[in-house]
Amino acid sequence: MIVSVRKRDGREMPFNIEKIADAIVKAFRASGELDEQIKAAQSQLNLLGSDDVLTSTALKVSADVVGRLESEGKTVPEIEEIQDAVEKSLTEGGYADTAKSYILYRAERTRVREVNTRLMHTLRDITFSSAKESDLKRENANIDGDTAMGTMLKYGSESAKHFYTMMMLKPEHSRAHMEGDIHIHDLDFYSLTMTCCQIDLKKLFKNGFNTGHGHLREPKDIRSYAALAAIAIQSNQNDQHGGQSIPNFDYAMADGVRITYRKAYLSNMVKALMLLTSKTEEEVQPVVKKLHSEMAEMGMVATLVPNEKFQDTEARELSKTYGEEVVINAQKFAEKMAYEETDKATFQAMEAFVHNLNSMHSRAGAQTPFSSINYGMCTEPEARMVMKNLLLTTEEGLGGGETAIFPIQIFRVKEGINLNPGDPNYDLFKLSCRVSAKRLFPNFSFQDAPYNLQYYKPGHPETEIAYMGCRTRVIGNHYDPSREISFGRGNLSFTSINLPRIAIKMKSVDLFFKELDRMLQLVSDQLMERFAVQSRRKVKNFPFLMGQGVWIDSDKLGWEDTVGEVIKHGTLSIGFIGLAETLVMLTGKHHGESEESQKLGLKIIGHMREFCDKESERLGLNFSLLATPAEGLSGRFVRMDKKKFGIIPGVTDRDYYTNSFHIPVYYKISAFKKISLEAPYHALTNAGHISYVELDGDPTQNLEAFEKIVHHMAKSGIGYGSINHPVDRDPVCGFVGVIGDCCPRCGRTEGHAIAPEKIEELRKLYPGMPVFKGIR
Amino acid sequence: MSEKELNKYGEGVGFERIRRITGYLVGTVDRFNNAKRAEVNDRVKHGI
Repeated sequence: MIVSVRKRDGREMPFNIEKIADAIVKAFRASGELDEQIKAAQSQLNLLGSDDVLTSTALKVSADVVGRLESEGKTVPEIEEIQDAVEKSLTEGGYADTAKSYILYRAERTRVREVNTRLMHTLRDITFSSAKESDLKRENANIDGDTAMGTMLKYGSESAKHFYTMMMLKPEHSRAHMEGDIHIHDLDFYSLTMTCCQIDLKKLFKNGFNTGHGHLREPKDIRSYAALAAIAIQSNQNDQHGGQSIPNFDYAMADGVRITYRKAYLSNMVKALMLLTSKTEEEVQPVVKKLHSEMAEMGMVATLVPNEKFQDTEARELSKTYGEEVVINAQKFAEKMAYEETDKATFQAMEAFVHNLNSMHSRAGAQTPFSSINYGMCTEPEARMVMKNLLLTTEEGLGGGETAIFPIQIFRVKEGINLNPGDPNYDLFKLSCRVSAKRLFPNFSFQDAPYNLQYYKPGHPETEIAYMGCRTRVIGNHYDPSREISFGRGNLSFTSINLPRIAIKMKSVDLFFKELDRMLQLVSDQLMERFAVQSRRKVKNFPFLMGQGVWIDSDKLGWEDTVGEVIKHGTLSIGFIGLAETLVMLTGKHHGESEESQKLGLKIIGHMREFCDKESERLGLNFSLLATPAEGLSGRFVRMDKKKFGIIPGVTDRDYYTNSFHIPVYYKISAFKKISLEAPYHALTNAGHISYVELDGDPTQNLEAFEKIVHHMAKSGIGYGSINHPVDRDPVCGFVGVIGDCCPRCGRTEGHAIAPEKIEELRKLYPGMPVFKGIR
Repeated sequence: MSEKELNKYGEGVGFERIRRITGYLVGTVDRFNNAKRAEVNDRVKHGI
């Protein structure tokens, strides 16, 4: 006799025949196989209800199940054995349809159980392994997976991914994602928000803004401008899953410098007059202040580079009270002091800004905001002061001389403005190269690349090209061609295609294109599905991004309005990785090795771009092609393909697929040739792109070569580029530069202590040396 | 000197190596995932 059963986890539980019957009842209900009998029973006015027919039949089958198990000698049957017996009893009892329903029900339960187990495994991995051991925790290098908040974030993220793949995605999209044909980026945020936004700071600062935790007034000083800029980035970061970018940092901060200078000039003028006339502050201040505000109403204000109109009028008016000689001297003093004070304040403001962006928290403290700032083309003296000081503080490094990780700085290069000797911002371009050669930032964006230049209207900073973070670019606007601008717009979502897999599967070029078309269509459909979900979100779901009018036209919406219309200004991007491996698979050579491959590469990427343009046309939205950065993806696709297809030399034989259209990192090629070969792909990838060059040694020792490379990028039609070089630091003596086996400053080898006397000796030589407090 | 004191002068202290991989800088290579670490190791320098 059966008195107990063994559950899946091994525990023995008392046997209860009703549990078997319950499952069988459900199967009968689903199959409808007993419906006739139930009807018949009811029509005969038989008092037996439908439940009774069902229950009695189910109990009969259950009894058969028990008999079957007992005859097999099972006294403590396992769950699986019971389920097998139910299937047999139903089939042999003549209930074929119900048997089928039961099998389906069983399969569904198994699937749900497996998903739950998979999720539980993932959560266990997150809980009990450190980031050092768990690749999952290092998926994104800028999130600290070991902290409490980082772990909580990971729980949420992994659970959300499970939920969306099971419940929200169309099965074909879900399958394509899980099997690694495509990768839906930021899947954990699938139904919640969009990727990123380019924040027009000038507009945001006008009249102040509300962070959701209090109102901030319009800033009145460069220091508060910079502080508020960081807060704006932080606030917006909490409404989106991607990075935040300031497209007009130079223009927006210049306003802060202007106000700062005006105030500094006034206070120094008062001081000078006090000293020269022996009058008190109470006597002088009201006179000067009144005059300045009257003049301001007529459009005359003190400016960083003094203007004659202001100077003359002020001199004339004040001379009436204080005498001409005194006033002229006072003006000279005030101009000099105000300039120096403003310059100093601006440096402090920029220093604090960079410090803030490297220390302030977003997303429950697990990471600093992903921030980018674009600048370089504003030639106003105030903006130049901002850029100079920002670059100088970047060069200096953080408190201990560390290289700042954020913000990503992007220096916009343009002929006639900063690229060549004689250009008004040429000095800043030179400084940018010097700083980048030491600190890896700024990167360089190229306004003159034809596909960037086509949008540019002088005097309209919103038409200047801007890049976000790792490469995102949003400027063209098929949805509304009258708004081809960067301000207030961003990417909505992006999904990448596993290009090498298509090549591995199809082998021939013709078939490759056929399958590529199928995949492009699949991704386009998936992006549209997600777009529909995003469109139903409301302004209140984005208190800062939409609530404060950061996103284009969101200021015209009410709190409860959906954002569907305004997000049409955003982009839907199709990305790709591993062009190099794709070409090796199709032709035997990648595009660095063979001209034929380069031709095919351009044909493939050109074809993808054409598809995006056609979809934009067909759907009236902004589809664009992205050279995917592949943060976590570089390893994911190849890992799956290795399992599926084995090791294919030059294709799946490494731990990563090559980034977007890049020439493989392991291939020996000159910097100039690499740039020339990659540049044509920049023109095609309108959702964003970047090219890197790897330099050996310390480029600060060869700035000429560094500049040459930037010039070559400009000439070749690169849109966005940067130069990599090793930046090492010895925390003990604070040396920054290239460190081989031993530190060039203190002579320390990795992991070994040096004599305390040596440190004291060095401190005399380098007074700014940080004090290292140890790591234990 | 105690172990803690020695640590202040560099015992057990490595060098920080900042690298850029997908446009972002990362404080030290330790935080990269396996694939990216492999990529960084494979990189060759480009002559001019």
